[in-house]
Amino acid sequence: MTESRRLSLILAAAVLALAAIFAGPYVLDTYSVNVLTRSLLYAAVALTVDLLWGYLGILTFGQSVFFACGAYAAGLVFTHMDFTPGNAALALALGIGAAVFTAAIVGWLAFWHGASALYASVITLVLPIVATQLLYSGGTFTGSSSGLSGFTSFDLSTEAWFWLAGSFLVAMTTLAYIFVQSDAGRLLVAVRENEQRCKYLGLNTSRLKIRVYLACAVIGAVAGYIYAAYAMVVAPELAGFVFGTELVIWTALGGRGTLLGPVFGALIVDYESAQLSGNFPFIWQLIIGTVFVLVIVAFPRGLLPMVFDLPRRLLGLVRPRGDVARPARVALATLATLDAAQTQGAEVGNGPALAVTGVAKRFGSLTVLDGIDFKARAGELVSLVGPNGAGKTTLMRCIADGAERSAGTIIVNGHDIGSRPPEACVAFGVGRKFQMANVFETLTVAECLQIARARHARPSLWRRANILPLPEAAMHVIATTGLDRQLSTPAHLLSHGLKQALELSMVLALEPRVLLLDEPTAGLTKTERMQIGAILIDLTKKQGLCVLLVEHDLDFVREISSRVIVLHQGRIVLDGSVEEVVASELVKQVYAGSGHAGIAHETAPKTGGQEVPA
Amino acid sequence: MIAQTLDIVTTAAILYAVATGLLLVFGVMKIINFAHGGLMTLGGYAALVTTQAGWNPWLAIPVAALFGGVAGMAIERFVVRPLYARPLDAILATWGLSIIIGQVITIAFGRGVQFTQAPLSGTLDLFGESYSAYRLALVGIAAALGLALTALLQGTRLGLETRAVIMNEDLARGLGINSALVRFLTFTLGAALAGVAGALITPLSSVDPNMGVPWLVNAFMLVLVSGASLLSLLVACLVLGGAQVLVATHFSPVLGGLTIAVLAAVILRIRPKGFARD
Amino acid sequence: MSTRAISTLRIPHRRLLMAGALAAGLLGGPALAADTVTIGIPVGLSGANSVVAPSVVQSAELAVEEINAKGGILGKKVVLEVADDASGAAGAQKAFDSLIFQKKVDVLISMETSAARNAGLPIVNRGKVPYIYTSFYEGRSCSPFMYVNAWVPDQQVAPIVDFFKKEGAKTYFLIGSDYAFGRGMLAFTKDYIEKTGGKIVGDEYAPMDATDWTAILSKVKAANPDAIITSTAGGAPNVTLTKQLRAAGIKALYGNLAVDEGTAKSMGSDAEGIYIAGSYFTNIDTPANKAFLAAMETKFGKDLKTPNDLSVPEYEAIYAYKAAVEKAGTTDAAKVIPALAEVAVEGPRGTIVMNKQRHAPLTMYLGQVKADGSVAIMSSFKDVDPGEQCPKLK
Repeated sequence: MTESRRLSLILAAAVLALAAIFAGPYVLDTYSVNVLTRSLLYAAVALTVDLLWGYLGILTFGQSVFFACGAYAAGLVFTHMDFTPGNAALALALGIGAAVFTAAIVGWLAFWHGASALYASVITLVLPIVATQLLYSGGTFTGSSSGLSGFTSFDLSTEAWFWLAGSFLVAMTTLAYIFVQSDAGRLLVAVRENEQRCKYLGLNTSRLKIRVYLACAVIGAVAGYIYAAYAMVVAPELAGFVFGTELVIWTALGGRGTLLGPVFGALIVDYESAQLSGNFPFIWQLIIGTVFVLVIVAFPRGLLPMVFDLPRRLLGLVRPRGDVARPARVALATLATLDAAQTQGAEVGNGPALAVTGVAKRFGSLTVLDGIDFKARAGELVSLVGPNGAGKTTLMRCIADGAERSAGTIIVNGHDIGSRPPEACVAFGVGRKFQMANVFETLTVAECLQIARARHARPSLWRRANILPLPEAAMHVIATTGLDRQLSTPAHLLSHGLKQALELSMVLALEPRVLLLDEPTAGLTKTERMQIGAILIDLTKKQGLCVLLVEHDLDFVREISSRVIVLHQGRIVLDGSVEEVVASELVKQVYAGSGHAGIAHETAPKTGGQEVPA
Repeated sequence: MIAQTLDIVTTAAILYAVATGLLLVFGVMKIINFAHGGLMTLGGYAALVTTQAGWNPWLAIPVAALFGGVAGMAIERFVVRPLYARPLDAILATWGLSIIIGQVITIAFGRGVQFTQAPLSGTLDLFGESYSAYRLALVGIAAALGLALTALLQGTRLGLETRAVIMNEDLARGLGINSALVRFLTFTLGAALAGVAGALITPLSSVDPNMGVPWLVNAFMLVLVSGASLLSLLVACLVLGGAQVLVATHFSPVLGGLTIAVLAAVILRIRPKGFARD
Repeated sequence: MSTRAISTLRIPHRRLLMAGALAAGLLGGPALAADTVTIGIPVGLSGANSVVAPSVVQSAELAVEEINAKGGILGKKVVLEVADDASGAAGAQKAFDSLIFQKKVDVLISMETSAARNAGLPIVNRGKVPYIYTSFYEGRSCSPFMYVNAWVPDQQVAPIVDFFKKEGAKTYFLIGSDYAFGRGMLAFTKDYIEKTGGKIVGDEYAPMDATDWTAILSKVKAANPDAIITSTAGGAPNVTLTKQLRAAGIKALYGNLAVDEGTAKSMGSDAEGIYIAGSYFTNIDTPANKAFLAAMETKFGKDLKTPNDLSVPEYEAIYAYKAAVEKAGTTDAAKVIPALAEVAVEGPRGTIVMNKQRHAPLTMYLGQVKADGSVAIMSSFKDVDPGEQCPKLK
């Protein structure tokens, strides 16, 4: 399916939906039109919950507040000023402005580098509580608990409001759908899956989150504005925690991460609750609560995907079972090699590629690294060796994330990294490959690679590229390991070796000048190790990269290194050529003392992604 | 001045009693238990049942612990355990549970406010100030709770294992600690403490199906700024509870009601560890 | 009706048909016939008002039963349609839409929160049906379709303040929940106290759902007023304030503008001695009230929810609507609405005419809560005027 055909199909579906909206008032009674007009607007807010929670992984309880921003802007302006077209535009602008302002504060609080998902969630929980309280305290200005009512608004018929609300929902859903399927939209899933990897791919995830959050706030505010203009009433509960959690419940029931699920979840549950809660107010709540818990525990994907899956499952009974792990996606068709002239990476600064001076790292009273000084030039392959707990991985972390070290300076390519976050270090030319293969498990190989290129090639907000240009180094790894034959395979289905190769090619796609590799050959077969070794030599010799390698396999180190640094108990005990290190008595003692039989044979992978100090 | 000091100390004591159960669960399981408010409500109704049966109002405390503990066992086994790998979902599911608990109580007892007998009434004279006797008693009860929990964590084998799981669950499991059991017992204990908190606040609070809700957010924030330490929780309760009382007294009670939540959010933004030590 | 319900959901997606079928199975509109008069009652069956709502529905049921036993309205049978407004705006919109456009009611008569009333009014305007609001509230809500037969601050505050003044109170402390009713009541109270020579020594509001009154009570103790007047949100805030106020050992005169007999009972011994004002107490000693209570007792027996200041106006409003329809000779809204201002109803609260800017002069009572939770009536004030409520409406 070509790109234009795909987009036309989406647009055709949107046109059909618009036609259905247009027909609505002719086939529905007045009652349903009225109830659904509000439900359609609620559904637009549920859509933003899905974008944030289902795609980006931010569980938010506070989207109601943005709805209320738009609604109260209309209510306040129309109550305290006259209703004129100018004031109507002013109200819309104020509503959007208030929502953006609020979202910016929340974004600053909740999405900074290092904030946990739980903290962000709790901030969005506090938001509606504060907002509601402010509305209550507003006295006659905000109407306090009674809200504002009896203001004049646009003189539209019931049908026209239905069409407006419906068209707005269809437009937002279509845009959101195109966005999440686009190259840029895939970044959202990547952040949800593995935010750390995104940062180390040079992506400013905080900024991405805040941008999406702001956009969602605007959608909510516009929905709220239409709501107030239609219903001619605003009340504090619009901003409330209960409405905020209702949105989450609709999203969960409909199916997070599907966009259509939450939209229909909102429409159906809200419409049905209008019908049923009158008859059984408490039982209805109990049913909703029970179904909600059940869905979360047993069917986390929600109900819509189950409905979609039903025919597939039934067919699956008769057909031989194929790979049904995920719906087939349009595979990224081809890879291309970038012209070497375009892959200069970060600008080469003066002096050494990497200069580490006086670096120390302490956890409380425990010192893990102390007085680390060394320099490495472009084209050098420096191996870091030492027993477990010597501080090798910690040193890697300090070079790749300015916030990690306790003291000292690190200069990459002539840039002092200061206390900058990983994405800024990537911009200076650092590329870090983790010890355990760190990729986006649910994304395909091609998608993983594309995200690694996002820093260089700004992804489209609405299109999917079908050619992915990669730097020669990355292409080389891909071709050597045969990854190019598995471009549409989800990463979690890859073998251990291929996962390592994928991560390496992702890091190389960054066009780094300083490559940090933490045991890239751990758990690989002999052949795979040979391949990686050849690639590394090629990278340093031909491409002039500076490679810093943590490695236990001294045979491997001996074959490829130009220099070896031995770490012991957080200090550099030796820095010299391969021969010097191999001949060193000190190194033998270090290893013998730490209980290692001999570094030459130590190749077993360690458990756990993070090295525990001590 | 004395009145205000007493207000701060007693407010901190109430907050401490309300938040300890949540803190234990957060420390071990790294999730915020949204059903905490529902479990508190359950404890409040346990107190109601106790006094309606004509028993001594102080008996409400063990009865509430029993109610909360049993509910906690069921919740841990059937809801929280399957969501071990999905912490945000665990939060949502416990939120759903609090809806269920609220509605079941509504159906069983009605929506209205219920009357429970208070174990202590009247005032005591302290430093020349006559002050609510029950609030003063709560300071003692909260202190006893804190000491008992500290003794449990520091002095018993289970406590040692629990602390190990709090610090590093993978490592603890590697050392042969049955972390699933530790989680189960912790959640049960946390739920029992929520029940006790519910019973403890009945003389101050109204007993109705939503009685736990107003306490919930403040308790969340206190726990988030405290990390997993009972000591830093005490500090947080005194500092933030004190700030609440001061703001409510000198500015406005409306701002006072928001003080803990807003202050805690800002503290965590500036210092992610909150009141916890390194 | 069922095919209609299916078409109801034919929006963007065919998958919704399933839900449509579900809706068709569960719904089922009322049989609308020209020979009935349908009264819609949107009320908070869930949410904050759910404690009092059953008593409101009961008194409506009694009124309808009595009217039907005597031949209905203009010979037509009266039918009730109750809808849950969840005590809030969003629920009220659904309830009003359902009653007006789906159940096609002739009139709406109900007690609701102010937020629910406000949310319903635009829908009432669209549907053009008469609406009688039967809940006491903060006042000054006006709509050409609406009448109010319950009290507003102008009517309720004077009895308590006048009594406290007679008891020798000079200094007052006001405590409220920060919401429309709390602010509205206490703003009026403050004016009235200052006008009659009293002094306000404190004036504090807590958040609407607050249950911790520590700081405010410390201020009360420091100010040491002769009297306290409170106007909190119903339910938990009111109960917690009373409990904590008693526990703090505050002995001042205590007037509570937001407590009813039922809530007073649930507070047990803490409620004893509270002064309350209202237009209805069960102890009103008139033949009309005794007959009403007896009829309620007979109809509901042990399920009876104690009649109160929110449920009795509902009963009377149904009779007011009956009288207005009979006077107009039709259920046509345009004719019934002016007639509502002219008819007088003899009910448990006395004779009531909604002729003062859509509001009604009421006989107000001052009561004190006794140890057993009942309210002893101390004095009564005949036909207290609601004052300027809706000067733009007749």
